[in-house]
Amino acid sequence: MKYHDELIRSMKMLSEHDKTIFIGQAVEYGGTGTYDSLINVPSEKKVEFPVAEALQMGMSIGLAMNGFIPVSIFVRYNFLLLAIDQLVNHLDKIPLASNGEYKPNVIIRVSIGSEHPIHPQEQHVGNFSSGLKQMLKTIDLIELIEPDEIYPAYEFALNRKDGKSTILVESADFCKVK
Amino acid sequence: MVTKQELIDFETDIANEFDSAHIRAPIHLYNGVEEQMIKVFEKVDIKNDWVCATWRNHYQCLLKGVPKELLKQKILNGKSMVMSLPEYKIYCSSIVGGIAPIAAGIAWAIKLKKEKSHVWCWVGDMASETGVFYEALKYSKNFDLPITYIVEINEVSVLTPTRKVWGIESEYSEFENKYIIQYKYINKKYPHAGAGKRVQF
Repeated sequence: MKYHDELIRSMKMLSEHDKTIFIGQAVEYGGTGTYDSLINVPSEKKVEFPVAEALQMGMSIGLAMNGFIPVSIFVRYNFLLLAIDQLVNHLDKIPLASNGEYKPNVIIRVSIGSEHPIHPQEQHVGNFSSGLKQMLKTIDLIELIEPDEIYPAYEFALNRKDGKSTILVESADFCKVK
Repeated sequence: MVTKQELIDFETDIANEFDSAHIRAPIHLYNGVEEQMIKVFEKVDIKNDWVCATWRNHYQCLLKGVPKELLKQKILNGKSMVMSLPEYKIYCSSIVGGIAPIAAGIAWAIKLKKEKSHVWCWVGDMASETGVFYEALKYSKNFDLPITYIVEINEVSVLTPTRKVWGIESEYSEFENKYIIQYKYINKKYPHAGAGKRVQF
């Protein structure tokens, strides 16, 4: 299967778990490739969120602390940078601060902006994974390079029981060529 | 419920432990807010509600039912600033404003699950002026989430005067509505962090 098809298949798989909820921008309303990947996710599982990245990440943490598995979607890696406090100081450190007693599982889905056939310039492209990995102590960051890596990675993120969260980094350009 | 004097005595005990170099982590002690705090907790369902707070959280933990011995041990283990007690539905953050969206998310989960519990989220006056707090409050109000933010006005963040640095000329008021309880207090006994003595390890 192709890269985008695997994303569609993975999102459907996530949506079949009774604890998942999909939140972010372009979740209920179109306009991005991310929206297209959610075509098989039931509408009652999707909550369109304001453009408020720190709030989105923080509320994802709260949902996860109280029984949900949020799939928190950031359509550009650049936009995730606005949520760094909640990601690095909170979600990543909760397992350490609580000695593993709180086990929030947040699935963070983020996309590297497309550079082809048009280039959106500096603020909508870039892969920040190496820098982010240096800031994270508990959260796993998985870069999705090949189509056959996508479904197992999301399956791992959904089913992990170690009280840790996962960032899955997609590439908008790979959706066109792989 | 824990009494005013028990709250004061607990902080005094922790201050003594800190001054005796038994705690190798910062502590932030309350004083002067006992009556306001007890009044809020008269509304709290101790078993089912959630309490979210900041780096200064010993009073909330005691009033939420955490045994003194357990709380003291956590503090001695260096966890005062990041108190995390899922058994008691308590989570605290030591980042200014950082607790507000998490508390809102917990409240959202309560609403989605159609539960009857409530979230009580403490912040200080500097946090109440931050963007992320405003966003969390706006979302909570507009979607009628089961949460009340308690804004404690002591007029400073460490020693930085909140109203002066924000250019706010009017005095903070005390008020209470469905989503916010705001009260003032003055801590005359303890500094922002520590217990007032230089501690040598």
